[in-house]
Amino acid sequence: MTSIVTAEGLSKTFQVKVRDPGLRGAVRALFRPRYRDVLAVRDVTFRIEPGEIVAFLGPNGAGKTTTLKMLAGLLYPTSGRVEAAGFVPWTGGPPFKRRIALVLGNRQQLVWDLPPEETFLLNRAIYDIPEVDYRARLAELVTLLELGDVLQKPVRQLSLGERMKCELVASLLHRPPLLFLDEPTLGLDVTAQEAIRRFLIEYRDRHGATVLLTSHYMQDVTALASRVLMINRGRLLYDGALDVLVARIARTKRIELALGGDGGDGHRVTAEALAAFGEVKSFHFPNAVLEVRREDAPATSARLLAAFPVADLSIEDPPIEEVIRLAFARGVEEEQ
Amino acid sequence: MNGRWIPLLGAFWRLNLAEELQYRANFVASVLGTLFSMATALLTLSLFFHHTTSLGGWDYWEIVVLLGVFNALTGVIEAVLRPGIGELAGEVRSGELDLVLVKPVDAQGFVSFRRLDIWRFTDVVLGLALAGYALTRLGRIPSLAQLAAFALALASAAVVVYAIWVVLMSLAFWFVSVENIAVLFDAVYEGARYPVSAYPGALRFVFVYLIPIAWTTTIPASALTGRLRPEIALAAALVAGLAFALSRALWRAALKRYAGASG
Amino acid sequence: MIKRYAALIRNAWLVDLQYRASIVLWLLWGVTEPAIALGIWWAIAGDGSVAGYARADFARYFFAVMLINQLTIAWDSWYLDRWIREGELNYRLARPLHPAHEAVAENIAYKARTASVILVVWLLVAAAWPAVRLPLDPGRWALTLVAVLLAAAMRFFISFTTGLLAFWTTRATAIMELHAGVSLFLAGRIAPLALLPPAVAGVAGALWFRSMLAFPVDLLTGAVHGADAIVRGLASQVVWLGIWIVAYRIAWSRGIRKYGAVGG
Repeated sequence: MTSIVTAEGLSKTFQVKVRDPGLRGAVRALFRPRYRDVLAVRDVTFRIEPGEIVAFLGPNGAGKTTTLKMLAGLLYPTSGRVEAAGFVPWTGGPPFKRRIALVLGNRQQLVWDLPPEETFLLNRAIYDIPEVDYRARLAELVTLLELGDVLQKPVRQLSLGERMKCELVASLLHRPPLLFLDEPTLGLDVTAQEAIRRFLIEYRDRHGATVLLTSHYMQDVTALASRVLMINRGRLLYDGALDVLVARIARTKRIELALGGDGGDGHRVTAEALAAFGEVKSFHFPNAVLEVRREDAPATSARLLAAFPVADLSIEDPPIEEVIRLAFARGVEEEQ
Repeated sequence: MNGRWIPLLGAFWRLNLAEELQYRANFVASVLGTLFSMATALLTLSLFFHHTTSLGGWDYWEIVVLLGVFNALTGVIEAVLRPGIGELAGEVRSGELDLVLVKPVDAQGFVSFRRLDIWRFTDVVLGLALAGYALTRLGRIPSLAQLAAFALALASAAVVVYAIWVVLMSLAFWFVSVENIAVLFDAVYEGARYPVSAYPGALRFVFVYLIPIAWTTTIPASALTGRLRPEIALAAALVAGLAFALSRALWRAALKRYAGASG
Repeated sequence: MIKRYAALIRNAWLVDLQYRASIVLWLLWGVTEPAIALGIWWAIAGDGSVAGYARADFARYFFAVMLINQLTIAWDSWYLDRWIREGELNYRLARPLHPAHEAVAENIAYKARTASVILVVWLLVAAAWPAVRLPLDPGRWALTLVAVLLAAAMRFFISFTTGLLAFWTTRATAIMELHAGVSLFLAGRIAPLALLPPAVAGVAGALWFRSMLAFPVDLLTGAVHGADAIVRGLASQVVWLGIWIVAYRIAWSRGIRKYGAVGG
């Protein structure tokens, strides 16, 4: 089976104007501009097979969106080779565009003042979808995304979650085999996020579509993607199964405490006392953050609750930036 | 209604000024834009005077004085009105107006003056400079009394224009989908470029009685060129006061309706 | 392709329905500018005439300007500038449809609405005011229609191409305003070209400005007559349309290339 997406040595360098501050600098920039290279994507190589759900994970500015745009044909690579859905994206033209869907988290294609249905009808015309197929696919998508009466209301009256779902419907009416989703759950409430994740899995199972999404939410990745591509500062740090990454890297959990108690008991807790339970990452009364081994987290939490007047406690994964920093620092090897 | 809004406005203006000073390019662009539109207006006038020696009894340089006054008033509109009360229609639609109404100051005063596009004040300077130059070409230096009449007439004109904007924007409370209502003003205000007497009967009626822009440029310009009877300047001030009172009444009615609607 | 245009126009029409009131205001702008110009020339003409234009001639001229300007106007530069600056071009580029088609469809939907209003107004005014009536001349009207289509197409490409300048500069709108300011004179919005100093009118004819508006208007009012003059006018329109299409293609391919380099 040939891969549906191939990237080899993919790189993208932007040239950014450098401007000295002040009036003289502004004038100089006008007449003799100087440029600085920003290496947004550096030598990224991967292959994606049809039917995979793959997440590009990384902090803001890591190069995820730039990579996605190169795959979608919006940007052309500075060097390297990229192929998607059987085409070179930048030169693919309309035949290529019929085989992809691009959903950007912050900019939508739904016409703001009209009901979503009107945008769907427009897309039906743009993608030349036969009437029968259009109605069948619309019905299926509406059911899967649990969109009820929403279709008749103008888009500006919909909630963010409803808008995103309609955005997905609009993008999938032509049933493309390849989906590019840039931060699809950005800014949505938990219910909406989960609904969309469920939908993507269901959709892939039914139609064998390949889904590439970028995210900086760990939950997107854990719920959806069997495979994670970690990108930081333009480089591909890790490409493989998520649980393997987590097991390797995120060996710790963070216990976040809020100390309370009646009569100011909490005030008597010291950092040293906490340190007996784990590594104290921060302690500004009444909040404390401890780092413990993943396996120990539940037990340690119980002991903390018993030992101190705790008003609130939660167990969290280390922040994604931490995981990536660790991945980078420990030099994670690519999946064998 | 209390007087606290002056220090509050002061705070906003300081912030606004700091913001605006960052955009020196905007200043240059703004001045160039004004010079371009003034040049266009002068060329248009020259074209008309290619074929006639007077327009409504006014000769070329007298109308240039009027053009200078027009530019000065436009400067006030662009500097104060459009960024302030001009935003109202959009804010009613988006609901941002609520953020303004909860502040402990008089809403109308606050909305009207909270934001200044200070670079546009150069239009006022350029306009007055043009008027001054035209006066020297006419060989007429206005007397002190005339200058006083001019100042009064110009101030009244600004108040009348302000009142018109308040009325237009208040309409946004009733007709929410009209967010570009400022376009209506811009279109009609073009008529203030020429003296009222230049227009044929029907248009003159419109510009004097229906949408009283005639007062705003013709009268101040007349004061400078010595055509004005002093009583007219006082009448202009009276009209301004009346216009302001009417607009304020409409504003209050509009706010009442707004509070009723979204409450 | 027709189905796609039908869908695009329908969409634009429905959006316009939501903005009825706003459109009325823009329409008002399109009417007051010629009305004020007419007022001034009316006063200047008095009982005589100016360069061959008597009051009735001016009235006919400016009503024709109202209608034909509304039929040929293009404003894509403004929202193309916005698309490019605010990232709204991305999803359009990911579709198998050239973004220009959407701009054309919106143009058509808007004009269908506004031009029909102006036409009705003209008919009503003509019923009461003989000065603005035109002689019944289907042949001339057909030729005018051709000239209007050519002018509308050319103005679209001018507008779209200047809008594409937003790929390179943040001051694209300033350039458009400059063009609009110049065309106030050279395209005949403020006065018939015959009233301009001959050198200026010559520039207007040598460049594309006369083809934008003045020529179709003169054709409709009968100021242009004789097969020779008509053919030359139409030919000029065709030539300038061609030139602007070429300019558009260059700007688009270069602009997209730049967009692909730096993104949006």
